[in-house]
Amino acid sequence: MGNTALPKDPYSIIITGVGGQGNVMASRVLANMLVRRGYQITIGETFGASQRGGSVMSHIRISQNATWSPQIPKGKADVVVTLEPIEAIRVLMTYGNPDVQVLTNTRPIYPVGVISGELAYPSIEEIQESVKDLSAHAWFVDATEEAIKMGNPILGNIIMIGAVAGIGALPVDRADFEEVIKENLPAGTLEVNLQAFDVGVAKVTA
Amino acid sequence: MQGGYEDLIIVGINQVGFKGRRSKEMDNQVQSRGQKELQEQVINAHLCVGCGACAYLCPYQVIYKDQTIVLHDCDLAEGRCYAFCPRTSTDYDAIRKALFDEEDLTLELGPIKGFYIVRAAGEVNRANAQHGGTVSALMALALEEGLIDAAIVAEGEDNFLHHGIAVTEPIDIKKRGKSKFIVSPTVAEFNKIAAGDAKKIGVVATPCQAQAFAKMRMKPIAGKESHIDKLQLVIGLFCGWALSWRKFTDLLRRSTSLESITGMDKPPGTQTVEIFTTNGTIILPVDDINTCIREACHYCIDSTAEFSDISVGSARLPESWEETKTWNQVIVRSERGQTLLELARSKNVLEFRDVPEGNFDELKKAAVEKKKGAIERLREKSGQPNDLIYLDENDPVIKKIMG
Amino acid sequence: MSKLIDENEGAQYLYMGNEAIARGALEAGISLASGYPGTPSSEIIENLAKVAGERNLYVEWSTNEKVAMEVAAAASFAQLRSLCVMKQNGVNVASDFLLHLAGSGTRGGMVLVTCDDPGALSSVNEGESRHFFRMVEVPLLEPGDFQEAKDMTKWAFELSEELRSLVAVRSVTRMSHASGNVKIGKLPSTDKQAEFRYSGFILDPMEGIVGSAPVAFRHAEQQEKIKKVREIFEDCPFNTYEGPEKPDLLVITSSACTLYSREAINLLGLQDRVGLLKIGTTWPLPPRLLTKYLSLTDRILIVEEVLPFLEDNVKIIAAEQAKAIGVKTFYGKNNGTIPTAGEMNPDHVVAAFCKILNIEYVTMSSEYEQRAQLLGFTLVPNREQTFCPGCPHRASFWSIHNALQLDNRKGFVCGDIGCYTMAMLPTGFSTLKTVHSMGSGTGIASGFGKLGPFGMDQPVLSVCGDSTFYHAAMPALVNAVHHKSNIIMIVLDNSGTAMTGFQPHPGLAVSAMGDEVPAIDVAKICEAVGARVEVRDPFNLKETPDTLLELMEDQEGAKVLILRQKCALSPERKAKKYFEMQVDEERCIGEECGCNRLCTRILRCPGLFWDKEKKTARIDEVLCAGCGVCSYICPEEAIIRKEVA
Ligand SMILES: Cc1cc2nc3c(=O)[nH]c(=O)nc-3n(C[C@H](O)[C@H](O)[C@H](O)COP(=O)(O)OP(=O)(O)OC[C@H]3O[C@@H](n4cnc5c(N)ncnc54)[C@H](O)[C@@H]3O)c2cc1C
Ligand code: SF4
Ligand code: SF4
Ligand code: SF4
Repeated sequence: MGNTALPKDPYSIIITGVGGQGNVMASRVLANMLVRRGYQITIGETFGASQRGGSVMSHIRISQNATWSPQIPKGKADVVVTLEPIEAIRVLMTYGNPDVQVLTNTRPIYPVGVISGELAYPSIEEIQESVKDLSAHAWFVDATEEAIKMGNPILGNIIMIGAVAGIGALPVDRADFEEVIKENLPAGTLEVNLQAFDVGVAKVTA
Repeated sequence: MQGGYEDLIIVGINQVGFKGRRSKEMDNQVQSRGQKELQEQVINAHLCVGCGACAYLCPYQVIYKDQTIVLHDCDLAEGRCYAFCPRTSTDYDAIRKALFDEEDLTLELGPIKGFYIVRAAGEVNRANAQHGGTVSALMALALEEGLIDAAIVAEGEDNFLHHGIAVTEPIDIKKRGKSKFIVSPTVAEFNKIAAGDAKKIGVVATPCQAQAFAKMRMKPIAGKESHIDKLQLVIGLFCGWALSWRKFTDLLRRSTSLESITGMDKPPGTQTVEIFTTNGTIILPVDDINTCIREACHYCIDSTAEFSDISVGSARLPESWEETKTWNQVIVRSERGQTLLELARSKNVLEFRDVPEGNFDELKKAAVEKKKGAIERLREKSGQPNDLIYLDENDPVIKKIMG
Repeated sequence: MSKLIDENEGAQYLYMGNEAIARGALEAGISLASGYPGTPSSEIIENLAKVAGERNLYVEWSTNEKVAMEVAAAASFAQLRSLCVMKQNGVNVASDFLLHLAGSGTRGGMVLVTCDDPGALSSVNEGESRHFFRMVEVPLLEPGDFQEAKDMTKWAFELSEELRSLVAVRSVTRMSHASGNVKIGKLPSTDKQAEFRYSGFILDPMEGIVGSAPVAFRHAEQQEKIKKVREIFEDCPFNTYEGPEKPDLLVITSSACTLYSREAINLLGLQDRVGLLKIGTTWPLPPRLLTKYLSLTDRILIVEEVLPFLEDNVKIIAAEQAKAIGVKTFYGKNNGTIPTAGEMNPDHVVAAFCKILNIEYVTMSSEYEQRAQLLGFTLVPNREQTFCPGCPHRASFWSIHNALQLDNRKGFVCGDIGCYTMAMLPTGFSTLKTVHSMGSGTGIASGFGKLGPFGMDQPVLSVCGDSTFYHAAMPALVNAVHHKSNIIMIVLDNSGTAMTGFQPHPGLAVSAMGDEVPAIDVAKICEAVGARVEVRDPFNLKETPDTLLELMEDQEGAKVLILRQKCALSPERKAKKYFEMQVDEERCIGEECGCNRLCTRILRCPGLFWDKEKKTARIDEVLCAGCGVCSYICPEEAIIRKEVA
């Protein structure tokens, strides 16, 4: 049984991004942290062909004791974490509500239609405005930039997990993270992952 | 000469080349003139002559096996491809007046400063020529005298295909004599080399190619002149038609192997075409050949390369064809052409003989015939008596022909 | 140690549905697993391959699904337990053997897992495998959550042995690719003895010969098995009911739709009005159980995905029992209450409830929705599918497209299933003109190539991947060569089953378990068949189209062009870029006549983007895979490549 009461049951998180950003890994790590705390978790993942440049989305349902739908019902996300900024608005169109909390990585990955000039990509200011407008709380983290500084852009996903832990929306902490990384990732990677996690926490608590 | 071509830019920019039918529709709306329109109005409409004016300016149009190929779509509203193409709507009268002395203009044959019968002096200089070797001789002379530093001529490939090639040595000109009746995309080669080191370029051009160069000289798109000022000499070829590679080679393959063919000719006034092979000459009825003519050539009104500095064709003489075919008829059209011809005379590069009585009128008659036929077919194609597709029905030349 | 083989009975882990199925098979003590990769099924075999050593398993990626099932059947015939895995359309491929195997029966427990893809999230069809099992008469189970995915798989083996019949377990994308808590059970010992017995009485199921003949006898035997399993299903714990004794509405559902239905009941607070009958034993349905629950109410809603399979079977029972249970009103796919195409979700079930029970429910306040939709539609650009940065297919289709344009005879390409299916889209320059099942591009091309006498003079090309070549394209090539069909078959050889995540195939020298195996060379096979074969590197943008143009002039029967370059996601390519890329901003002429953004507008590699402010193309250093392809196409030589040492 979970040791902390959830704000809601089921409590629903969406982690979204673009193929290749480590979205699936981020959702597994976060979910495993929650399983450690004794919650019943369901993750629904949309990848497959969307791996190739399409949007990737994980739905995480957290419950004291039940298995819920791997697809969150419309308008019912509680926390949205996006590894790519425009995906935040895309997700909120379907799953948003006035109480949702949103964490957004600010590094754009342009859709091929934008690369080709057929479509426009909004400015980061416009995106921030809109996300704020559609959420109760919004945080913007330059996770990819920080990750590049650390030597590997893929760490952006872990920085975002740190940020989620940092805002206190979920009953998880650094120790859970450390355990899950130890269990699931090759030994040599713990240090850099912890570092990335801490960067994420710092970004939202500073 | 009226000064350099540079002086003409002022008149030329933008409007001059683009009056005519389509511009009337454009009064109220901006119509784009880019690749999409080129494709719709010219290539897909079978008006493309394969000159290559639109090719190699960008990565989109290339020439492959005498065909103009659009590799990928381009969405620019205005492009050089459309602006340079001799088969997009064009006010040729304006170009004529801008590029030539107005008093030289004739309705049937374009600008004329002089009309001559000549040939390259010395039999060896005619050995590898189609007729009198005049074209090769003049081009070689221009190179020798430094009037130009590169010349674009047609180069044969395997399988009866050709491409334009830029040469810098006079000897290389003479090696590339003889007419290629399948389009050789000379303008494409100009586009390729003009960005390079050559400073003064001369070209041998069919009438459609000369038209393309003339349009380029008008500098229709400011800032995108494509080095046209390097073009210093255009020697035009008279032209009745060119052939489609696939159709023609399919026809030839029925009677001989492509490798054995050394050349061909159409003796004027006969209903036959001669194919020269390593095993002798094959005579084909002209009707067979007619099925292989590029559709676009049927819509061409120019038989004498009216937009060149000097135009050269086969002669018509009272003597036998064997003798006649060693001579050329030449029309000098510009100061530059005149200078070159006089230089050739003074250096004994060319032999001259008197023009027989009636020759000039016959040429005019033939020219009018081609114009009439083309106008008829354009009307048929558009389905409207006044819609000549790319030509302007108010052009005085057209008006005269249409009666 | 992998959590898949954790011995800690009773421990809870977060398992992906496919991992739960794999764990179930391990708990059942399988000795052999085989399959052919296909999303969403691939992780089952992948995970089993990883623990093959520890669990004394033989695991293989077979050449195709039919062979996979034959391989698994052999283990069953030798009294071992075996698992066979494929995606929905794989069952079509295997179906001929499936029919005969259903007739012959099995010995050791044998389970076929099929992972269907409702909504075709990663398929080019919305195939339905459940009908096959009714058609060939083998029992079919559908897990309704992750725990069941494990438990049911294990039970399926026991059932198979009890019946001496193949048992099918059907999963769906939202089960296979979703994850949830699973409490693990015991792992059995791994020492198994294989022996194929055939010396007993000829018709003896365990000691005779194994075959579907004599048909009258075997088919009758099969009917008996179905009768028996129907009885077993009457009391099966995987069929459950939750809800009031006298509901206003009975929902009958199975698989992931159970979770959607439960969620919808919860959302609308209908726990007291709606009953939920969750069926785990989808075929043959247990009639008494159904009769009992159908009697509870007059309104029945059937919630399922793809075809109305459950619905049809429930209706048969309702018709048979009409006298006892009375007339029912059925809601489902047949009357349009449930969408007939695409995947299900909780919102579809909510909508169905609202319609049937006449209730109002607001999913999102209309004020919020309007705001979100407005911002979304004005700001959010669509993400079209695209080849990855540095993908060899982009280069291959660039050359194929250009060669077809140059050839100028309206040539076209017939394709099939793989990443390269995306060549229908602008990312592959819209080059593919037919797309069907594995290998069918070449079969279709073989037919097109014989239409010359009817005036067709268009060049005909086909493409298939390297894995597809072995799977189903080889017979098509044999056909084309044998019948002198004038085609060019292009094998896009990227050294792996890339789309589904690099599973090895017969062209590689490594097996699913990591053992060294003989690689079978595509070029040699094609040559042996009698085709002219050329091999090129698709990153060579000059040779590849030139070769194609030349092949198109060659009118002598079937030709094969192998375009060989490793997938951009392959471990080797990920480890090291070929080139460091940079755009010389001074040279780039961008939007001007003369380029008009060839690299970003037409080639459209995500590694490049157009910088609107600076009016220049730029490399995205995070995304660029360093293939160098863009540098060869730039007309201004503005894209500079520097070899990586
Ligand atoms: C397609 C075609 C149709 C013709 N039709 C007629 C006609 O109907 N009536 C007539 O009087 N004359 C016609 N001619 C011109 C004639 O064949 C001779 O080219 C002309 O008389 C010059 O002869 P010459 O001996 O001086 O040429 P040469 O000294 O042999 O030199 C010919 C030059 O033309 C170049 N050349 C050859 N073919 C082409 C081509 N396709 N495109 C561009 N450059 C080329 C060669 O490279 C060479 O430099 C035609 C020529 C062509 C190419
Ligand atoms: S006529 Fe010349 S410029 Fe016009 S489309 Fe054809 S090749 Fe291009
Ligand atoms: S080198 Fe060019 S084509 Fe290759 S991945 Fe990088 S940006 Fe894309
Ligand atoms: S292809 Fe070259 S010139 Fe054109 S936009 Fe790209 S980098 Fe610039």
